[in-house]
Order: sequence, then C-alpha cells, then structure tokens
Amino acid sequence: MLRNRRSDILVAYLLTAPFIAVYAWLFLWPTIQMVMLSFTDAPLIGAGKSVGLSNYTRMFADPVFHKAVWNTAYFVALTVIPGTAIALLIALMVARLSGWLQSLVLAAFFLPYILPVTVVYVIWDWLTNVQFGMMQGLIEWVTGRPVNIWRTVPWFMPGVAIITIWWTNGFSILLFLAGLRNIPRDLYEAAALDGATRWQMFCRITWPLIWPITVLCLTIQLILQLKIFDQVYLFAMGGRTQATMVLVQYIFEQAFQKNAGGYAATIAVALFVIVVAFSILQFQILRIRGQR
Amino acid sequence: MKRLLSAAVLAASFAAPMAHAAETVVWWDFLGGGDGVRMKKLIEDFNAENKGNIEIQATTLDWGVPFYTKVQTSAAVGEGPDVMTYHASRIPLAVSQNTLTEITADDMATMGLTADSFAKETWDAVNVDGKQYAVPFDTHPIVLYYNKDLLEKSGLIGADGLPAGLDGLDNFNAALKKLKDDGNEWSIVQVTADGNFAFRTIYSLLCQQGGSIGNDGDWLPGDNPDKLAKAVGVISDWVKDGYNPSYTDYPSTVALFTSGKSPFMINGVWEVPTMVDLKEQGKLFNWGAIELPVLFDKPCTYADSHSFAIPNNEGKPQTPEKHAAVLSVIKYMSEHSLFWATAGHIPANKAVTETAEYKAMQPQATYAKLTANQVFDPKSVHAGVASPLFDAAGNAFTAAMNGETDPVTAVGEMKAALDALQ
Repeated sequence: MLRNRRSDILVAYLLTAPFIAVYAWLFLWPTIQMVMLSFTDAPLIGAGKSVGLSNYTRMFADPVFHKAVWNTAYFVALTVIPGTAIALLIALMVARLSGWLQSLVLAAFFLPYILPVTVVYVIWDWLTNVQFGMMQGLIEWVTGRPVNIWRTVPWFMPGVAIITIWWTNGFSILLFLAGLRNIPRDLYEAAALDGATRWQMFCRITWPLIWPITVLCLTIQLILQLKIFDQVYLFAMGGRTQATMVLVQYIFEQAFQKNAGGYAATIAVALFVIVVAFSILQFQILRIRGQR
Repeated sequence: MKRLLSAAVLAASFAAPMAHAAETVVWWDFLGGGDGVRMKKLIEDFNAENKGNIEIQATTLDWGVPFYTKVQTSAAVGEGPDVMTYHASRIPLAVSQNTLTEITADDMATMGLTADSFAKETWDAVNVDGKQYAVPFDTHPIVLYYNKDLLEKSGLIGADGLPAGLDGLDNFNAALKKLKDDGNEWSIVQVTADGNFAFRTIYSLLCQQGGSIGNDGDWLPGDNPDKLAKAVGVISDWVKDGYNPSYTDYPSTVALFTSGKSPFMINGVWEVPTMVDLKEQGKLFNWGAIELPVLFDKPCTYADSHSFAIPNNEGKPQTPEKHAAVLSVIKYMSEHSLFWATAGHIPANKAVTETAEYKAMQPQATYAKLTANQVFDPKSVHAGVASPLFDAAGNAFTAAMNGETDPVTAVGEMKAALDALQ
C-alpha cells in the first residue's frame, strides 16, 4: 500500500513532540544552564557575575579535584570489570541449578540489590566496627590488629568497592541469567556429540553468545560507578573526606557546603565530559571486539 | 443566582474568622535524638495550652548540611517555616546568605527577654555586626562523663563526691595511668575516628592555653599553630599510651563508657538522657558529668547554642499576627526550658538556670557553671557545625590523633586547607 511519506513524517514528529518537549525542558535546558553557570561565581542560589574561564583554571590546579578524579577512576577500575566477571561466574553457577532451588539462590543474590544505601551502610559499618564488629576477627587474623577500614586510606576504596559489588551484583546476575537461558540447548548437545570439553563449550558457545549482555552490563556499571557518591559519602563522613573524595561528592561539597554553585557546576561539566568520553570509548572498543 | 452568590459570600464571611481563629506556626527542627522526644513534649504542651489560638505544626528534618540547605533554598523562594531551630555557630553564614530575619529590640521586649537574660558568649553568638538574628534556647557544651564506681576504686573521688585531682595535664595523665594500671581496659574514650567531632575537645584545649582560631585570611595568628598542635598532641598521646582507643567512632565511644570499659568519656551533654534512661532501667553504674578539667592555664570548654530563628521568606514577610504568634512560641519555649534541661542541654535563659528546681537537677547543675568559661566557634561563614572548618579538622586531625601523622604536620595541613577557602 502506498502512503504519503511526507504526512508520515509529520505524524512521526507529532507523536514524538511531547517527549522531545519534555526532554528538552527537563534535560537539555538544565544541562545548558549548568554549562553557563560554570562561567560565573554564582552561589548555590541566585545569579553570579561572569568570571570567564577562572573556574576552569582553578579546577585544573585544584589538588582535591585531582584526587577526586583519581579516586573515581580507581573505584571504576575496582568495580566495573571485576564486578561484571563475578556476576557472570555466579550466573553460570546459578544456571546449573533448577526449579525452586535456583529461584531461592537467585533471590539470595538479588536481595542486597533492593536495600537502600543507608541500610547497606549501617549493616557494613556495624560488621566492620573497630571495637565490636564481627569482621574484625577476620581482619585481625590477616593484619594482626583491628583496622578501622573507613579511616585507613589504602583500605577505603577497596572496602567500598567490595560492598558495592555485593550490593549491586544481583542486577547483573539477573541479566546474565536471562542471556544464558536464551542460548539454545541444542548447540550444547551438538557440541557434546562432537566431543567438546566444558571449557571449549564456554569459549566457543557461551562466551560469544553472551557477549551482547556483557557489553550491556559493563556499560551500565561504568556509568553507574562513575557517578559513585552515596557509599563514599556515608563511610567517610566526619573523617578524612579529602583523601577519599570522589567527583560527585566534590560537587556536593562545593555546592551545598561551601555555597559555590559556579565552581560546583564546573566540576559537574568535567564529570559530564568524562562520562560521555568513557561511554563512547567503551562502546567503540566493545563493538570492535564484538564484530570479530 | 444572585441569592446563591450572596449566600456564598455570607458563608465565606462566617468561615473566614473561623479559619483564622487559630494562627498556625510552621516549625522546623533537626532534633532527632533523645532531645527530639523532649521537644515534642514541649510542643504538645504549648498546643494544649493555646488551643484555639496558636497551633505549632512541627516537622523534624535531618541534622547538619541537609537541614541548612533546605532552609536556605526554601527561604529563598518564600517556602520556609515560620520559626526554626538554628545552631548559633551557623548564623554568620546564614546572614551572608540573607536567610534570617533580624530579631528587633521590640521583639525581645515582647518576649520579656534582654541581653542580660543570657550568658555573655551565648548572647554574642547570636549577634552579627550588632544585629540579633536568633534567640538562644540552650547552650550545649562537651563535658567529662565519669564512672563513679570505677573512680572510687582508684581513689579519684574527692570528699565532695566529685572526681578530684584532675587539674593540670600531668595530674590528669597520672590519673589516666592509674586507671589503666588498675585494670581498666581503657582510661578515657572520645571519638577518635572523626577529627570532625574531636575538634570540640581540641578547640577547648586550644582555648585553655589562651589560644584561638582567627578568621578568614588569618586563621591561626601568632603562636596559635603551636598551641593547636599541643592540643592535638594531648589526644594523640592518650592514644599512643593506650589510654584512649584509636579510630573509635561515636556509637562505640558511648558503648565503651556505658558498658564500664572506660571510666571517663568526653562527649556532648546531649548524651545525658542516654545515661539517665539506662540508670532508670538499672543497667548503669553510678555516674556523673563535670566541666572539662583545666589541663592548661585556664578553664575553657567548647559550646554551641540551639537557638530559635525566623527565616527571611523571600516575598512573603510575616503578617503581624503570625509574627506575634511566633514570638509567643519562642517566649513559651524559653520560659519552659527547665524541661529541656532534662535532655542535658543548659537552658540559655538565666532565669531558668537560677531556679531551685534546676539547681537540684544532677548532673546538670554541676556542669552548668561552665557557661562562664565557654568558647563558641569563630564568627566566620566557614565555621560552625558541619562547616568547612569542621571538615578541615576532620581531615587533618583524624590522622594525627591516631599516630599516622604528627600534630605539627596536621596543623600545617589544616591551616593550608583553611587558607584555601574562598
């Protein structure tokens, strides 16, 4: 059936218009305003006067900003690939179970994901308490003395990374499990007939077919972990916040505690650029890998 | 139609005075602990006594930065409360952000209060550039809690029933050593995981040496860096000598004291209700609380004040009726702050602390005399609870108290962080 292409386009525009309007109003316009704010010395509320690029020169010379970039990158390195790998491993194991046992184990892994961050913080702060925490026995066995993980700088980021993986892994496991179920069983049967080992089956069947899910998990994790704030803020509160500073926390501190809206916007722009750059980079790398 | 309209007008004119019969006062506070429970009781009492005239509608919000951010943003768009609790130490920043309404001399006269109703430092803390921005409700310093049973065992209780022989750093340290030697797990506990919290003790010890923290541009004038390092050194020595546990957070501090593992605790007066409640349940030893001993040259203790402030609601100034209602709320609270003293806080209104009832209240009446020797935060937009100054202390002193860096280095770090504020 032939239809008028121009009227089709018109209808398409008409139907997407509400979304585009809302998107522009709630997302694009604030983003533009944030960039504009970064060229002013505005406080948290109200307008400021234009200061040119001085916020940017200040930011590039700011040691706390450098620390925050480094800590954020370190945290991403500690969580994104290890977290996804662990999720895949757990999913492979859970996939071998069946029936109600599988549901039960899956629920056990998924449970932490539904907890609010404050609850996660209280549970782990309690478990690792230097005076009364249950985990101090384990820590003392390794180090010979109780350690306050949240006040010992080298322990801090790995500690938060482990908790974050524990907390958010359920979602990745669920995605992987869905992916594993979509792999047709006859592929494995055919491979078994040809005498393939388990390892060969994983490398030649599972891994290539699960790759799109892996890409999805990695991308979600990367963007999520670049925006790390809550856990670090809660665990560092009152102590050595500068040494464990991450980018979003620094934005919060500048805007809400130091009343420097302009400078906070500048750091937000920097984070925005980093997230966009990383996402594009990762997408490109993973696409090349996937096409091979 | 016309009749319907006039009926509506008639109904409205009847309804209007009824709606205005009770003036509502929207109230925000940040009192979430044992003191919050007591504040709710005061509010209920007020509402019962003023039924039909004034009604307080109270909301409790999260303490610290979240509270002050919400106040600042909502006042800027005219959506703030009618009255709120405010830390005196946060007033300079609030004034610079134009968040507070001035309290006039007429207002004070209406409430029957004057400058002389309060301790000098407390009054000074609610004034900025000669203008008053809040009405002090209490003073909340840190104090030295003690386990009377354990001190008695070590012979540290004097004839008056109070701890004795603690003045002077050498004497105090000798007492700590004695307590440790007598088999106590720890001699003293205070928060060592948060330099931010411990700043209260360190600042007191700085003041005891006659030192002070300056202001923007010149944070540690003269020999203050040395004095500050000495103050930090007191705590780091306690940790090094095994008197005070290292890296210990707030809840553990309270737990170590209440479980009898440490005979001394330095903490805020707001922990008094915890002790009172445990004692009532028969779960606590004989205890007390006293003003910090004089470890250096003169008595001095850090304090802050919960005060009542009226936000500057942009575009929505208070009507005279509303303002009068707010003033009567503040007046009531100030006059009834004897009950507030059960939360540990020292009522700011001297008329209350001079009553026989207050003087019979223990241990409140024992430590209340410290209001003559108190020091508030420096008056700066960067000072006050949960401020950049506290954060700088948290970063510098957490490491120093636990022996990761030495006090002199820590003071250098703190000075650098403060000088970088802009």
